[in-house]
Amino acid sequence: MENANVLKFEKPSFFERLKGMLGVDFYRLFHTPLFYIFIAIAAFIPALVSMGGGQGEGAMYTNAWQIIAANSPLYVISNMGEYANMNMVFIFGGIMVSIFIGHDYQSGYVKQLFTTHAKKQDYMMSKTLLGAFSMICMCVTYMIGGMISGAASGLSFQINAGSLLCAILGKMIMSLGWSSLYTFINIIFRRKFGISIALCFVLGTGIPVIGAAALVGNSAALNIFLYGSSVYACLSANFLSVLVCLACSVVWAVIYNILGTVVLYRRDVY
Amino acid sequence: MNAIEIRGLTKSFRGMYALDGLDMTVPQGAIYGFIGENGSGKSTTEKCICGHLVPDKGKIELFGKPYTDAGVRVRVGALIENTGCFPNSSVYSNLMMQAINLGVKDRAGEIERVLKIVRMEDNAKLTFKKCSLGMKQRIGIAMALLGDPALLILDEPINGLDTDGMRLMREILVDITQNLGCTVLISSHILGELEKIATHYGIIRQGKMIKEISAAEMDGISKAYTSVKVRDVEGAARLLAGRFKTENDGEYLNVYGVDDASALSAYLLQNGHFISEIRHNKVGLEEYYVDLMSGKEAL
Repeated sequence: MENANVLKFEKPSFFERLKGMLGVDFYRLFHTPLFYIFIAIAAFIPALVSMGGGQGEGAMYTNAWQIIAANSPLYVISNMGEYANMNMVFIFGGIMVSIFIGHDYQSGYVKQLFTTHAKKQDYMMSKTLLGAFSMICMCVTYMIGGMISGAASGLSFQINAGSLLCAILGKMIMSLGWSSLYTFINIIFRRKFGISIALCFVLGTGIPVIGAAALVGNSAALNIFLYGSSVYACLSANFLSVLVCLACSVVWAVIYNILGTVVLYRRDVY
Repeated sequence: MNAIEIRGLTKSFRGMYALDGLDMTVPQGAIYGFIGENGSGKSTTEKCICGHLVPDKGKIELFGKPYTDAGVRVRVGALIENTGCFPNSSVYSNLMMQAINLGVKDRAGEIERVLKIVRMEDNAKLTFKKCSLGMKQRIGIAMALLGDPALLILDEPINGLDTDGMRLMREILVDITQNLGCTVLISSHILGELEKIATHYGIIRQGKMIKEISAAEMDGISKAYTSVKVRDVEGAARLLAGRFKTENDGEYLNVYGVDDASALSAYLLQNGHFISEIRHNKVGLEEYYVDLMSGKEAL
């Protein structure tokens, strides 16, 4: 024992730690079917929605891009066409993040992560970024699916390209905030997989904000919520809409990451 | 320097104390056998060291640094309760994920190295869920060995293994401590196996460390004795009183400090005590543990 090796312990930098955690998450993402299944679902859903939306007078959509975003930021839902758009990606994203984190706990792999990562913020940040990436990919396949189904339904593609770009960009930016919310929920209910999925579903559908809108009306104040800003990224969006989405998404991402990290530090992780 | 130093560690679950002011010292380079009954707090201690559980009170230091130090923790390998592998992924994929997590540079080479250590190099492509229990335990060790660990924490790694599996695990553990300079904290109920490899022991009861002892100290107090089976055990005990320390365990008379067993048997025979059985014994870890648990001092 006296001749035991002199050990050197080099502290990994923040980026080295995050790179390690992100590396594992992305390796898992690309090497398991979960991600590809959700990408396919995201592409398939607009086709289902537009087919079910009917044609001609009373149809859910008159323009192909309405499959991506509503014409204006309407928080009070009056018809399904205003509701069923790319925001649905955030529902599937929630379920995917729940399954992904659920597998971490179910397999016990989370023990390996927390044994070697003393800084628990690494876990929150990595899962947030991974979820955001997955939802952005889903937005892309949703858009492709929407364009194909729009063309197949014979819908018009006439649009202000700038507004469309701002709407799509806004929704993609919102992925970060949504992902951090879902990661936080899964940290809270880490051993109760069913509750996590149900809660992600309820919040992803925007039911609480829609309910609030029914009380306060179509108020811009609802943009402080993730669902509100996601709706704000609509076909009449402009650069300001993108900034609103960015601010909302980043602020909530920071809040949920801090809260999640505090929970991980204060509570037993496994 | 000590690899692990714990002082006053307390952890409760809903008011029930799993650890109650536990103190523990694991010297660097040791194979530390962590012994205790089920529910005595072994796994809880290990989980606290690995940061899975948040202690209520107490101090944990690893290699002289707080256990929350990122530089130390990245060099801790653990196998606690299960391997923590994804069942539908291959052995190789599971190891690859851990290698990426640890920031290992030559990942393929490192995976090959640890698979060789645990004699699993031909099973890398196997899906984890298709592996046998023994294979899974070895994969768990391989996971823990990735990234040049300075400390290995192994919770019941030999449970469920067959004789060959236990022998292999023993060889692996001795090999990694002697050749890689790793410190190993190993908990097990199979005391006979632990006795063959451990350099230090810690015995825990109801969340408290009741004894820490090195294998060398253990050898010093582990006295040899001779057990003789005679019809009149009490009579034989009276005869030997004053010459030897004896203990009547009902069926046998245990005689301590016997240098020449043939002289003892001749003496008993001369005095009318016919011996139907005689054997040489040594107080081992198991007896020591049982005595300690029952509150008796080890002989």
